[in-house]
Amino acid sequence: MAESMRSSRGPSLTPQLWERFLGGERRACAQVITKVENDPDAVPEIRDRLSGRLGRAIRIGITGPPGVGKSTLTSALARGLADGGNRVGIVAVDPSSPFTGGAFMGDRIRMDALVGDDRVFMRSLASRAGQGGLAPSTAGVADVLEAFGMDRILIETVGVGQAELDVMACADIVVLVLQPSTGDAIQSLKSGIIEAADVVVVNKADLPGVEMLLQSLRFAFSLGAGRPGTNATPILATSAQASEGIGELVAELESQASDLVDSGRHREMRRARLENEIRRAIQTHLWASLERAVGASAKIRRHAEELTLSGGSPYPFIRRACAATQVCQTKEEAWQ
Amino acid sequence: MAMKPPVTIPHLSQVTDCTTLSGRPVLSVYGPDDVFADDLGDSLGRPGHYPYTRGVHESMYRGKLWTMRQFAGMGTAAQTNARFRFLLNRGQTGLSTAFDNPTLYGWDSDDPISAGEVGKTGVAMDSLADMERLFDGIPLDRVSTSMTINAPAAWIFTMFLANAEKRGIPLAQLRGTLQNDILKEYIAQKEWIFPPEPHIRLITDLFAFCAEHVPQWNTISISGYHIREAGATAAQELAFTLMDGFTYVEHAVAAGMSVDDFAPRLSFFFNAHIDFFEEIAKLRAARRIWARHMKERYGAKNPRSWLCRFHVQTAGCSLTAQQPEVNIVRTAIEALAGVLGGCQSLHTNSMDEALALPSDKAVEIALRTQQVIAFESGVASVADPLGGSYYVERLTRELEEEAESYFAKIRDLGGMVPAIERGFPQQELTRSAYEYQRALSERRKMQVGVTEFTNENEILEIPILEIDESVETNQISALRVLRESRDNVAVQDSLDELERTARTKENLVPKLLSCSRVYCTEGEITRRLIRVFGEYREQAFF
Amino acid sequence: MNEHPIKVVVAKPGLDGHDRGAKVVARALVEAGMEVVYLGLRQTPESIVAAAVEEDADAIGLSVLSGAHMPHFTKVKALMDTEGIGDRLLTGGGIIPTKDQETLSALGVGRLFGPGDDPSTIAEYIKERVYARRAAERN
Ligand SMILES: Nc1nc2c(ncn2[C@@H]2O[C@H](COP(=O)(O)OP(=O)(O)OP(=O)(O)O)[C@@H](O)[C@H]2O)c(=O)[nH]1
Ligand SMILES: [Mg+2]
Repeated sequence: MAESMRSSRGPSLTPQLWERFLGGERRACAQVITKVENDPDAVPEIRDRLSGRLGRAIRIGITGPPGVGKSTLTSALARGLADGGNRVGIVAVDPSSPFTGGAFMGDRIRMDALVGDDRVFMRSLASRAGQGGLAPSTAGVADVLEAFGMDRILIETVGVGQAELDVMACADIVVLVLQPSTGDAIQSLKSGIIEAADVVVVNKADLPGVEMLLQSLRFAFSLGAGRPGTNATPILATSAQASEGIGELVAELESQASDLVDSGRHREMRRARLENEIRRAIQTHLWASLERAVGASAKIRRHAEELTLSGGSPYPFIRRACAATQVCQTKEEAWQ
Repeated sequence: MAMKPPVTIPHLSQVTDCTTLSGRPVLSVYGPDDVFADDLGDSLGRPGHYPYTRGVHESMYRGKLWTMRQFAGMGTAAQTNARFRFLLNRGQTGLSTAFDNPTLYGWDSDDPISAGEVGKTGVAMDSLADMERLFDGIPLDRVSTSMTINAPAAWIFTMFLANAEKRGIPLAQLRGTLQNDILKEYIAQKEWIFPPEPHIRLITDLFAFCAEHVPQWNTISISGYHIREAGATAAQELAFTLMDGFTYVEHAVAAGMSVDDFAPRLSFFFNAHIDFFEEIAKLRAARRIWARHMKERYGAKNPRSWLCRFHVQTAGCSLTAQQPEVNIVRTAIEALAGVLGGCQSLHTNSMDEALALPSDKAVEIALRTQQVIAFESGVASVADPLGGSYYVERLTRELEEEAESYFAKIRDLGGMVPAIERGFPQQELTRSAYEYQRALSERRKMQVGVTEFTNENEILEIPILEIDESVETNQISALRVLRESRDNVAVQDSLDELERTARTKENLVPKLLSCSRVYCTEGEITRRLIRVFGEYREQAFF
Repeated sequence: MNEHPIKVVVAKPGLDGHDRGAKVVARALVEAGMEVVYLGLRQTPESIVAAAVEEDADAIGLSVLSGAHMPHFTKVKALMDTEGIGDRLLTGGGIIPTKDQETLSALGVGRLFGPGDDPSTIAEYIKERVYARRAAERN
């Protein structure tokens, strides 16, 4: 593998670490996650090591506005799923400060019921440069958890109150969590997240206003909101704090999970994601070689500056650059 | 020690931002134009008269000096009993009991969760047997006793009552105070067991029980002290404490009591921090606001229901670990603010409390500080000597207005319990605590010996009290003996009866008293009640 | 050196609800660019160390004002060693007499801070120790 693809930061991934990882040592899993989180150059090697161990787990995104109870619900769900015989990984993403780079991660406070539960592995991630409610490494961290033996992976997004469509790219099932306060529901209907949801949960059902929210959601869905091409999106009420409605939600998720598997849709999603991963990795590689060879970014910036002044067309430059780039000789055999 | 260059500070405004401790901007001088006429008229009134801005008694300390009440408790009941006797011996006039953490959270000393904490910051209390040892030889009908306990207050109090019964002291003669203030626990100190509603029920049950059986007892001490220590400003302390008070009043009225039946036994507990005039103004404002609301909003007719009577403690968070002797000076200033603010009882902190539990020596100096204020300084001879000061009256009004605007915000959130559930007061405190820390870091506020005037290579020259690790093992073995020697059938029967009653609306205090009489332990009672009421989980708000 | 953010687990062990210091420090560490996993109140040594393992934390910060600092710090340190994270920094604060600090320091516990220590001092200390450990690992 090319020099640039080897780990340059932090301790290297020793054979002993992998042995411990495969032996099910939690600390080893945590260390591999750290590597994925902090060192993009180490990702290829890690992916190699995970080969043959991915493709089975169901990834469930938990998204929704701030403070609706995503963490509390995630904790209750993890227990419910574990009681059903699953090993459960949790990735909880919290926002990084754009000013200091620091992050305050408080999701564990709501997950104290999971302390000492060996069936569950929980990891907090700061969103860092990530947009759309996830950290850039989220999918990679989920891969590590899956390879570590997790059957279900719960991904709690940052509560940003905006469309968090990134979670769709990363999760097989998207759970949108709302609470009884009309503002949130209207926001979500507007933002389009509702179309991404496979399940809508009205949490804090112990508070007044649940019925009203349920009714307005049902009304909205009857008008055709919801993921296009699917049956009616189920709407469930829970009280995560009191563990009420969790059984129903677990049953719904498990039934969607087996539908995904049985219908072949899970494999299809996985294929699409792999396709994306491959394309992105090659694009990144090509771009990196262009950068190395000619300093592409800087050149493009300079051209753009000139064009802004002259008002000219960008295409003469584009044609020249593309023509020159075709010298890259690819052998088709290598692409088999 | 190496000589440091001499410090020259030309102007105060170059080293501090000249706001109050709470960040309130102040003028360089106050005059008649800065005070509303009413603040020198009807809103001021006379000492002992509505709205009590100037004090709850006409002659104030000439008639009755404040109670010098030092908070004490450590190790076993026998050790704390010895400290009590030491304090009474040196002229203290009331007792105040500090319990250890397991007791405050409702657990027994042998519970795994208590490991390492037994007897550490207060006395360990598991059952009536410990209560008997704690007050052994102390005349409970003559010395007033305060107990700082909240979540399990009702069943610690019934242990106290059971002990009085056994000693043949009529309950009607008992005088003292139970802190019993759960709302500030959710806001600041975080020592809770159940969710708010069942705790508040226990509190109103005690109001009703005491009104009938223990009429001289202060059933609650609605506390701002801890709210302040957790980082609140003076106005936040004032507002949240009084709002907690209103909430208890509203719950008791909703439970069917008439306000004048319980309101005279409500008492308060404030912090005296280092900003001298702001603290005095806060205490004066507290009396005025409480009187106005009790009379006008809650329709209390008995003037005793209008009185905001309070205990004051100097600010633990103002003490420094550096140059601890200087804490004696801080405490003296704060205590003086408490007295000029018209407190009914006072605790002065010991100089070593930023380092460890207070030693005998340090406790004695703290008590002597109060005695100097009371008997040498002359300030106790005149009621509200600062009344009419342009600055103090202006500050009093500003604090009152700020508190009123907090009341409005909290009522908008649906009242104090919903506000707590939403984290409103908690977030206000966290923000204030952080802002104060920033002010210190940025040198806009000063702490002598910490941010300035530090001594390099400081060597501590004060004795440090250590709690012997054997306290825990001794306490646990005593508890084992008790569990074997008591009437365990009676214990189970009374616990069953307690659990049954907890599921009804009936007053729980008589059942708790029955449990206490037969030596049920604190933790046994806690666990039974958790079965009915559930446990509260932390809501961390930032 | 391009260092990735430092991850710190902040907790209050045992029965002690005085979380003003823990919250102020947690916030200051975030301002200093760290990723702070806040566990909150009533934590046991087991829950703290388990979280630090899963988070692969660079440091654990405990705040103890209950007088029970000796058992808490000792147990957390011992568990860190048995769980394989003995190389990570254990630090914290509270009202901790010098004598106890010395005993704990001999067990491998890092510096302990008290009231009056500026949170930025704590952040500096954590940075220094964590960067030193990471540098040693790279070599
Ligand atoms: N009444 C009620 N409160 C709940 C319920 N579930 C969660 N909460 C409370 O709602 C608040 C927020 O809960 P979290 O689980 O932290 O919510 P979140 O969506 O993860 O929050 P962020 O990660 O900050 O966006 C906490 O105070 C919870 O205790 C519920 O079912 N009923
Ligand atoms: Mg969350």
